[in-house]
Amino acid sequence: MSDSFEPNIVAFLCNWCSYAGADLAGTSRVHYPANIQVIRVMCSGRVNPLYVMNALQQGADGVLVSGCHPGDCHYMEGNFFARRRLGMLKDLMEYVGVDPRRFHMSWVSASEGHKWKEVVEKTVEDAREAGPFEGFRRRRIDW
Amino acid sequence: MTEKPKVGVYVCHCGINISATVDVETVADFALKLPNVEVARTYSYMCSDPGQALIKNDIKEHGLNRVIVASCSPRMHEPTFRKAIQEAGINPYYLEMANIREHCSWVHEDREEATAKSKKLVAAAVAKVRLLEALESKEVDAEPAALVIGAGIAGIQAALDIADAGFKVYLVEKTPSVGGRMAQLDKTFPTLDCSACILTPKMVDCASHPNIELLSYSEVEEIGGFIGNFDVKVRKKARYVDFDKCTGCGDCAAACRVKDRFPSEFDMGMGKRSAIYLPFPQAVPAKYTIDPESCLFLTKGKCGKGPKCEEVCQAGAINFDQQDEIVEFKVGAVIVATGFDPFDASRKPEYGYSDYPNVITGMEMERLVSASGPTGGKVKVFNGEEEIEPKEVAFIKCVGSRDASVGNEYCSRVCCMYVAKQAHLLRDKLPDANIRVYYMDVRAFGKGFEEFYDRVRRENVRYIRGNPSEIFKRGKKLVVKVEDTLTATPLEDEVDLVVLGVGLEPRADMRQTMDLLRLSQSPDRFFLEAHPKLRPVDTATDGVFLAGCCQGPKDIPDTVAQAKGAASSAMIPLARGKVMISAQVATVDESTCRGCGFCVNICPYTAIELVTVNRFGHEVEVARVNEALCKGCGSCSAGCLSDSIQPKSFRDRQILPQIAALGVVR
Amino acid sequence: MDLEQLRKTAAEVVSREDVKYLIGWKKGTYGYRVAPVFVEDAAGAAELFFSPLCTANLTTYLTMAEKLPLPRGQEADKRKVALMVKGCDSRAVVQLLVEKGIHRDQVVVIGCPCPGMVDPALLAEKYKETEKPVDLKWDGDQFLLICDGEELAIPRDEVLAEKCRLCRYPNPVISDILLGDPVEKWEVAEDSGVAELDTLDINERWSYWQEQFSKCIRCYSCRNVCPLCYCQDCILDRLNPTWVNRAVNFSENTAFNISRAFHLAGRCIECGECERVCPANIPLGKLNRKMAQEVREKYGFEPGIDPDAEPFQASFKPDDPEDFIL
Repeated sequence: MSDSFEPNIVAFLCNWCSYAGADLAGTSRVHYPANIQVIRVMCSGRVNPLYVMNALQQGADGVLVSGCHPGDCHYMEGNFFARRRLGMLKDLMEYVGVDPRRFHMSWVSASEGHKWKEVVEKTVEDAREAGPFEGFRRRRIDW
Repeated sequence: MTEKPKVGVYVCHCGINISATVDVETVADFALKLPNVEVARTYSYMCSDPGQALIKNDIKEHGLNRVIVASCSPRMHEPTFRKAIQEAGINPYYLEMANIREHCSWVHEDREEATAKSKKLVAAAVAKVRLLEALESKEVDAEPAALVIGAGIAGIQAALDIADAGFKVYLVEKTPSVGGRMAQLDKTFPTLDCSACILTPKMVDCASHPNIELLSYSEVEEIGGFIGNFDVKVRKKARYVDFDKCTGCGDCAAACRVKDRFPSEFDMGMGKRSAIYLPFPQAVPAKYTIDPESCLFLTKGKCGKGPKCEEVCQAGAINFDQQDEIVEFKVGAVIVATGFDPFDASRKPEYGYSDYPNVITGMEMERLVSASGPTGGKVKVFNGEEEIEPKEVAFIKCVGSRDASVGNEYCSRVCCMYVAKQAHLLRDKLPDANIRVYYMDVRAFGKGFEEFYDRVRRENVRYIRGNPSEIFKRGKKLVVKVEDTLTATPLEDEVDLVVLGVGLEPRADMRQTMDLLRLSQSPDRFFLEAHPKLRPVDTATDGVFLAGCCQGPKDIPDTVAQAKGAASSAMIPLARGKVMISAQVATVDESTCRGCGFCVNICPYTAIELVTVNRFGHEVEVARVNEALCKGCGSCSAGCLSDSIQPKSFRDRQILPQIAALGVVR
Repeated sequence: MDLEQLRKTAAEVVSREDVKYLIGWKKGTYGYRVAPVFVEDAAGAAELFFSPLCTANLTTYLTMAEKLPLPRGQEADKRKVALMVKGCDSRAVVQLLVEKGIHRDQVVVIGCPCPGMVDPALLAEKYKETEKPVDLKWDGDQFLLICDGEELAIPRDEVLAEKCRLCRYPNPVISDILLGDPVEKWEVAEDSGVAELDTLDINERWSYWQEQFSKCIRCYSCRNVCPLCYCQDCILDRLNPTWVNRAVNFSENTAFNISRAFHLAGRCIECGECERVCPANIPLGKLNRKMAQEVREKYGFEPGIDPDAEPFQASFKPDDPEDFIL
């Protein structure tokens, strides 16, 4: 069963570093799994941690948030807030029983195309191992 | 928001960059089935003229009011397509792009997977674009004036350039005279120009330029506002000397009851001054100042039978009733040119700087060899017993730089060259002296630097590779304990004079300047530039620029170049007369805001404040965003528990549908 | 605490011109019931009391008061509210000050050092359930239950409320008036509820919470009673955007509970009210206390102690943990 399971990953990337890093991976033609879909935000600090929970609820099997390295944030401090908030979220999710392999956070700078590929591969692999997310997934009701 | 969204979706082939991997026709067909999509097309190069024309045409013919372009990264062409749709008559913010090239066709191999992913990305883009708002970029007027903080060579140069261009400049200097560190130097490397000779004309210029208002012996107290509209408050400290009456004759300093009793700051404490003083002979403005901490009358309330300075001043310029004065003005741009402090060598106790009078720093050496210095340019040192002309001299480099133990891991960039220069100057003055330089590396990277270093070595200045471990006294001599690493020989060289090549450190009062302008520090504690490579004179705050050593150690040519760069950047808003404020700023729904102040705490640009509003008779506090300061990062909204503050174009209600579109509901 | 002194002090406070009313506890309709009371005069003050049954956190009323639209020309009533608080309750006052939910000059805090509250369910289960009037008193390390002329001594550990076993702040951390002598705290127990869950593996833990969240009926009692849940328009109720659907099903209920727990991270002051009022007996304390524990251990912060502290979710430290970041 898990051989044919393809996890569905939603990623939130900050415009100035991680999104640019992912663009660089593209221009460098670095290949990685197609399971990941990116939502662009201006700063990792924009990511409301409840997005992670919402993504899982709406059909993602794994979620990734990526921002600038500490000290490099285009908006000075956004990634520090992201770090604290998402750290707390990870603890909460794990405590409630959501597999920690489903949520990852990374620092990827605009020059780290290869790191982006590695981050994606890890996120996809971990989500694949964790299997399809059932938990509190929203069910479609066919009346 | 009452207008029904009519979306046009354009899927780009990008030649074969996208279409080789993604089945673009299938994606367009899929898009047509999405809610509110009226038109869905593909084209070989959407960014080209015909590609853009396709979009503009559809907007007119089909009455489209939202556009999706599924192509390359928005970081590439978002401005292109925004402009295109604006030209066709719809608000430029009604655009959303789906990145199916850098994030899809270029990184995936399987055609089926890449096509399926492209469909989802387009679905997410459509979900968002339907909920976007029309936004207007605002323009505000810019004040055609600039503030330059610090009047060393960087500040002076920046001020002169801006003033020459025709704009008003307020040049604020903390000390009584302009000139900064460069005025303290004797000769400059590698040209051996006399520092004062090349600097003083610029000093005079900046004081007399019709467009420059020089506020010397003054400090900036407060800066509010934003680019184009900074509100500045400066405190002009009382000199207790009437500026307009003083002729600079110097009779007061000669007559002062505590004449020559205080260490002169300009001479690095090696010379003396009176309580009323001119920092140095070529000071600009050439007006005397009374130091309120040294003056008998100001500290004790009485100076003999009456202050001597007042007695002898023929111009009647002494005025002990003078008060500090606050001046306020508006500027459009600010340049920070506050300079550096030399490293305090007493923090390396092993070198005996605090113990021995003949261990001096590079800055002190400058004053020693200066003709206008405390010894009239004669190199004489006190070895504990008598004053002598040194026969054995040691220079030690990298003092306080490249040294994690004192917290400065960086290289100070100028010390290799200034030590070479000072070694040369000593060679001139002491032809028979044995001059050695102890080094870890020699960095002679600039124009003329390597040639100069060669010349100095040919002048019989010995370079010994080794970092001395300590300096101690032996009889009348100082012993430098070091290992010559190239020959692996331990040495104990006996010298008469040790010159410590101290590095450059961020000023002790950095914090005050940072608080004024919300500046950040780099890891080396100098001010942080907006981007280390592409924006070395900008800061994260629009309209605030950096020039000179406050941004990082550098020599005079680099300082002047950076000052000119900062002046040029600062002049952009001044010349345009207007400033654009980004439209994608945060906004508060005041009806749901509970005034908790989380967003105020979070905002790195202090763009949010709590204001009192009247809610049906009750006074409540809600957050309000200063749109000119807001950068649209959205950190505030992720911390808002009631979702009241949201950045436009990246609202929760615009992002959550994207998440839903990317999910798979089973 | 001397009840006479309490009633006298309360009467004095409400007679002040700048005080609107005082919120305290009074005996409820029967048995172990205790009700909140809004006292405006000496007569009302006479009803006030303080016993091991006064578990309710009255701070929630500070933010619950509706600010009705005023007729033109009428000024808002800016008088202060006096409030009786135990140790845990006082932390809610401090946290509200930090969040500007109230201002310091809007409240008169009457601190009641607390020797521990009783869980009425445990009392009923192990000793006596009754509808007759009862008196419950503190007596060293036991409680005295006086009912029907009988006096029953009950060892404290048998009926002490769970949250009190774990209490670190029996004495109010803020007060304008302090009634009674400071309490000396017994040794803080380990949070076995949280610790036990921590030892389970991820699937076992999910099974546990799945069972618990299945019981949720979205009555919103937890949110209503919480002193720190006072947004006029809770995001979990909103339709635009819809964070959580209003449908009462497992997916939405779980999302609701996780979201609320997250919003309380670094703010929850562990008063235990949410768990007390949940009609479905969901162990919300285990959820919120776990978060509070993480904040303490990983970030070195405790909400509701320092009124000048920066809010946890609106600040950061340069050395916040980042071992989970790739």
